Amino acid sequence: MKLSRRRAILLGVLAVAVPSGVLAATVKGKVVNTSELLNPVWNEAKDPGSHRYTFREPSPSVPADARILRGHLSKEVCIVALTEGKAEPLKKPIRVVVEGGRTSPVTLVVAEKQEILFENHDPWDHAIYEVSEKGGLTRGTMTPEKAGSDSHKRTWTPPGPGVYEIRDEISPGLRSWVVVEPRAHRALFPNRKGDFDKLELDPGNYTLVAYYSGKQVGEPLPFEVKPAPAEQPLKDPLKAGPDKKAPEKKDEKDEKKTDQGKGGG
Amino acid sequence: MLLSRFWYLILSFALAAAAGILYVAQGFYNRHTERWMTEALAADASAVGWFLKDDARTRAAALLPVSLTPELREALAKASESDEVSKELREKAKNALTKAAKDVPEESKFFAIFAVDADGRVVAQWNYAHRDDKDWNLGGHAVVADALAGWVRDDAWITDRGLTRIVARPVERDGGGEPIGAVIGFTVVDGAFAQRVSERTGANVAFYFQGNRSGAATRPAPEGDTEAFKSADFDVMNTDIKEAAGTDDYVQKGRSLVRRPRQDIGLVYTRMPGEVWELGSGYIVARRVTLLTAPLDFFKAADQGDKDRAPQNVLIGIAIGLGLLGIVFSIIEHTLPLRAFKQAAHDFALGKVETLAPSRFRGLYKKIAADVNDGVDKVLSKGGITRRAADLESVIGPLPAQPQMSAFAVPDAAPAAAPPPAPSQAGLPKAPERKAPPAPPGAKPSQAGMQPVKDEAAPAAPAAPPAPRAMPKPSRPGAVPPAALSASGLTELADLAPNSQPMSAPSPGDELAEWKLVYEEFVKVKKQCGENTDGLTFDRFKGTLERNKAALVARHSCSAVKFTVYVKDGKAALRASPVK
Repeated sequence: MKLSRRRAILLGVLAVAVPSGVLAATVKGKVVNTSELLNPVWNEAKDPGSHRYTFREPSPSVPADARILRGHLSKEVCIVALTEGKAEPLKKPIRVVVEGGRTSPVTLVVAEKQEILFENHDPWDHAIYEVSEKGGLTRGTMTPEKAGSDSHKRTWTPPGPGVYEIRDEISPGLRSWVVVEPRAHRALFPNRKGDFDKLELDPGNYTLVAYYSGKQVGEPLPFEVKPAPAEQPLKDPLKAGPDKKAPEKKDEKDEKKTDQGKGGG
Repeated sequence: MLLSRFWYLILSFALAAAAGILYVAQGFYNRHTERWMTEALAADASAVGWFLKDDARTRAAALLPVSLTPELREALAKASESDEVSKELREKAKNALTKAAKDVPEESKFFAIFAVDADGRVVAQWNYAHRDDKDWNLGGHAVVADALAGWVRDDAWITDRGLTRIVARPVERDGGGEPIGAVIGFTVVDGAFAQRVSERTGANVAFYFQGNRSGAATRPAPEGDTEAFKSADFDVMNTDIKEAAGTDDYVQKGRSLVRRPRQDIGLVYTRMPGEVWELGSGYIVARRVTLLTAPLDFFKAADQGDKDRAPQNVLIGIAIGLGLLGIVFSIIEHTLPLRAFKQAAHDFALGKVETLAPSRFRGLYKKIAADVNDGVDKVLSKGGITRRAADLESVIGPLPAQPQMSAFAVPDAAPAAAPPPAPSQAGLPKAPERKAPPAPPGAKPSQAGMQPVKDEAAPAAPAAPPAPRAMPKPSRPGAVPPAALSASGLTELADLAPNSQPMSAPSPGDELAEWKLVYEEFVKVKKQCGENTDGLTFDRFKGTLERNKAALVARHSCSAVKFTVYVKDGKAALRASPVK
């Protein structure tokens, strides 16, 4: 008992004396139930009525169960650790890359007053803007990257809590969301398999939430970060969607759909 | 008359019909030209749309060998499994891609080809330099996402090269399975592409994006064809495209109705499928037509070939045939009846017939003949009238005013004061009604239908019986009293002179005797008129007559001249009548 009391006192002294970052733990976890997540742009683009192609047909050598359009988790699913109180913005702006028909990440959840830096990595112009025109991100051209020039960059600080949709005048398929959540402490993105392992959090209580296409999806996952160990895997996965009872076979439908992409993908 | 009048009617109707046909033809031509243009433009727009679709499929097929390149597949598989793509791996993928890209058929050559891994990262690119050794991701585009999900499709973007068509297809592992990447081909829509489209579809086509033209091509036109659509004609879109892009058909159906920014040019705007659908991008097909603003514009619009194809011989034949037909109708209706009437009148004048036979004539000539017969009958029933003698002044021109026929005046005689008209003169009728002096015995008959000349003092001769119309002999020579001429004067004298019975030239003795009588009459009338006759000797009178006779004979080539005395303006005057 004496020993445990001593140990507790020692830990308490260390906790006061040592900077909090030193005690931060890396939280590991996995986001599951993501099969239903689909970029709305892609979903619309496969509809013949959207006039996005002259032909769209399945590759005959790709199995039907593989011909399914799914969201790109590493760029589109934003996992946010919410604190119990108001979160502070990061001192450095969060970089958002504009390239390849989307921003990376597609959905970004930030704390209030967080500055965001947009960078154009495409070899052609982009002109992103915030759709509601209330967020202050007006239409402006971002040129391709040039040495010694910042014309390919734009910075923006969302004015307050809310969801801000961002589009591009030159590339209509580009659609992104910035969510300002006052409790958003950290945001990270899983790999293609849904695993994430770079969430460094100070000890405390948090709630893990998944965002997709500017909306919260799945079930929040409360958890506690303890001072030790350094890596703390989450017991439960973060669910970005409802549990499936049985695997669906909508691929077979896709297989039958040929030209003009009636549904499919 | 009916025929010729009918003919004029036919001609006027034909002319009106020709003009009407031209107007109808103009409207028909314009309507059908516009309809043709509408249909042709719709066909052109569809043809270009089909070509774009077919071209996309062809290019997607051309990408198949690229996607099956083993080295490329291997590199993409490795890249998909790693977080970082090594430089060696990029190099290997690029070599494989370059080799495969060169084997793409010339017809389907791409401007650039990209190979991306399963994450959409560009691992290799051919003919396009951008972030060569850095990450660049194309996976956000729907066409790339589709390809990474096992679909083959196309798209259209706005890139640094302008309007660009994209084709993507998946790259698979050996033995199938989930795609390990995709290959993406870029085709820039420029003038060369437009030219290819135009050659394949036969359409005049221009591509545009964000209101700017990106490439245009027209069908080859025969040399010298000024009406062919030219590439510069696409400039009309600059002022029209904004309005066209706002039309319901364009917005909702993706294709505008035929637009006419210029009267002779029709355009159809079609939105291009792909991302550019929402960016005011698409293609225009155009046609140029010639519309007529007036019927005679046919002749302006027609070229020499058109004119040569007209059946000129037939047209000339129709013109000559109808003209001849009109002449024939005119001869039948006018010339022949007139000639018949003329012949009958001539026979009537010669006394070969006693009346004109209306039944021999047609139409109006019947009525004329009947009227002539009636007129003659009425004159005969009145006993006939004396033909007025020819007016010397009318025959030989204006005479000196002083005195009346100064040649007959006595030069030395003092002008007499204008006497009051003699009682006998007051009652004198005008020339046509005036009776000629009594003809001397032995005078030759003058003309058919003449009444005998009567002396004013003599009582009127009894009217000759209407039939037979005997030719009464004139009472004395020198009387020129044809009743038919009495009211007409010189003109009628000239007309009737040839018909007059030829008269032999009187002997000098007879003429002298006649002139003596005229002299006496003249002196008598002068005295009656209160004129001075002093110095008016027969010799001087005769000299004057001789001079005037010579002048008349020379002018009218007549054999003799007859002089009669009459009163003009209260003075004695002489009237000369040439006798053939």
